[in-house]
Amino acid sequence: MTDAAVASNPALVADATVEATAVSKWFGHKVAVSDVTCSFGPGLTGLLGPNGAGKTTLLRMMCGLTVPSEGTLTIDGQLPRREVEVYERLGFVPEEAAVYGALTGREFVEYAAKLTGLADPKAAAARTIAVVELEDAADRVIGGYSKGMRQRVKVAAALVHEPQILILDEPLNGTDPIQRAHLIALFRRLGDEGHTVIVSSHVLQEVERMTDRVIAMVDGKLAAAGHIGAIRRAMSDIPYRVLIETDDTRRLGAALVGSDVVFGVTVDGAALRVETTDLASLGRVIARLARDLDLRLTRFRPEDESLESVFRYLVRRR
Amino acid sequence: MTAVLAITRMTVRQVLGLRRLIGLALLAVAPAGIFFLGSARSDPGRIAEGLAGAVVGAFINLVVPVITLIMASSVLGSERRDQTLSFLVLRPISRLSIAGAKLAAAFVTAFALTGFGALALGIVALVRLHDAGYVVPLLVGTAVATLAYAAIFMPLGYITERATLIGLAYVFVWENGIAGALEGLAGLSPWRLGFSAMVDLAPASFETAIADIRSFALGTLEPGAGGSIVKVLVLGVLSVVVTGWILRRRDLA
Repeated sequence: MTDAAVASNPALVADATVEATAVSKWFGHKVAVSDVTCSFGPGLTGLLGPNGAGKTTLLRMMCGLTVPSEGTLTIDGQLPRREVEVYERLGFVPEEAAVYGALTGREFVEYAAKLTGLADPKAAAARTIAVVELEDAADRVIGGYSKGMRQRVKVAAALVHEPQILILDEPLNGTDPIQRAHLIALFRRLGDEGHTVIVSSHVLQEVERMTDRVIAMVDGKLAAAGHIGAIRRAMSDIPYRVLIETDDTRRLGAALVGSDVVFGVTVDGAALRVETTDLASLGRVIARLARDLDLRLTRFRPEDESLESVFRYLVRRR
Repeated sequence: MTAVLAITRMTVRQVLGLRRLIGLALLAVAPAGIFFLGSARSDPGRIAEGLAGAVVGAFINLVVPVITLIMASSVLGSERRDQTLSFLVLRPISRLSIAGAKLAAAFVTAFALTGFGALALGIVALVRLHDAGYVVPLLVGTAVATLAYAAIFMPLGYITERATLIGLAYVFVWENGIAGALEGLAGLSPWRLGFSAMVDLAPASFETAIADIRSFALGTLEPGAGGSIVKVLVLGVLSVVVTGWILRRRDLA
């Protein structure tokens, strides 16, 4: 990528280790990824998007598990499918199970170490199992693990050879809050140490806790990229639909019509549906009107703030 | 080399479940059991014919391919089914090495059972004919057939989820139907290559004993251990190359 291209495109980074150039992938008539160009460098990047956005396909193409229909994906300038030595520097945690249920956690991580050609697989496995805090369960068979434990043992297997590049597909799925906090801290630390860490998630809050740099995908396309604050600001354009229930919807609706934070009011039986782009201001206005009109509010709930709808909006806007 | 051995060991462990092992071991020794019971009061000539019948009528043309089909189609098929193939291929190991390790595992696991069946037949032949000369030919012939079938069924198990069904159709329709009816096709039949090696190495009287079934069992093939072993080794190399190529070209589950 040229310096000019990097400067003008927030999806690109200057010191890229993983690069996707005009990548598309289709399965029969279904387009999974469409003309995506982006790059990832040292530090942690969140790959964000609703289910079915094409994140997994993009990650699998990065690793060489899936062949792009068009475009190229390189790791340190090399094509993973052709040059297997790439895998000495790459660790991947897939979304699917991808574990041997009959092995113990320790055997599984040791197997990963042996396949990577480490001189002392046992020591490497023990060290990595400690990193993911799985020592107590390490000698139990994986078949009996909870989903969160399986995720951690997969992370251990991906980290055992201390790869410079770590790609994780929904690694926090199934983890409890404590495990999640621990894994997030681990990924952040690896990013801070200069590893290229790419974490996909469909949960905005998870990604927010991990990183500032985000690449967002919707319907196989790149929807937004860059600093999370900028994407947040883009999201503030989205018209929220808010459900309000009160003991006198008609009076409240009439009062709201004149408000400058509201641009649509619908009375729907006992409920009121209000459209706004400024949720916080609407809350203040509603509270004031309820007090002034002596109304009793029983519900105030944004109906349309799911990540999926937010990303759909971003795609439509492009 | 460590990685290849690790894959082979892991695969052997993966496909050799205890219940499967017991079931297939019983299948492997069934022809020996039938031969033992059927040869109780026969003269040596009839016993040798009975051995040939047990080998060609049940063991090398049915038991060996079925056991090898189950084992060999599992070595990559189970990885695909369990979604563990990504774990394996995202390591700095060439796809050819993975395919080689998988073929080795397919052969080892299948031959552990088919070899057991061959040994059982050899021991019954020793007991009934007082001739130890059948043990090694039975083992060599079985090894040749097992490797040939493993070379065919290993990639099949990766390519399709219906490997068992397709493999069985292949064994019954092609191996025991078409290739048996058309003598010229015998050289393309794995069990016949094994049987050719077996006949070549067995005591001379065995060739006389197979006179009635020679056309079906060997077709135009001449008994020859060396030629059969070379052909099967070539088939094994081809299998590894093709599987390695498929692993590199196809999207991996």
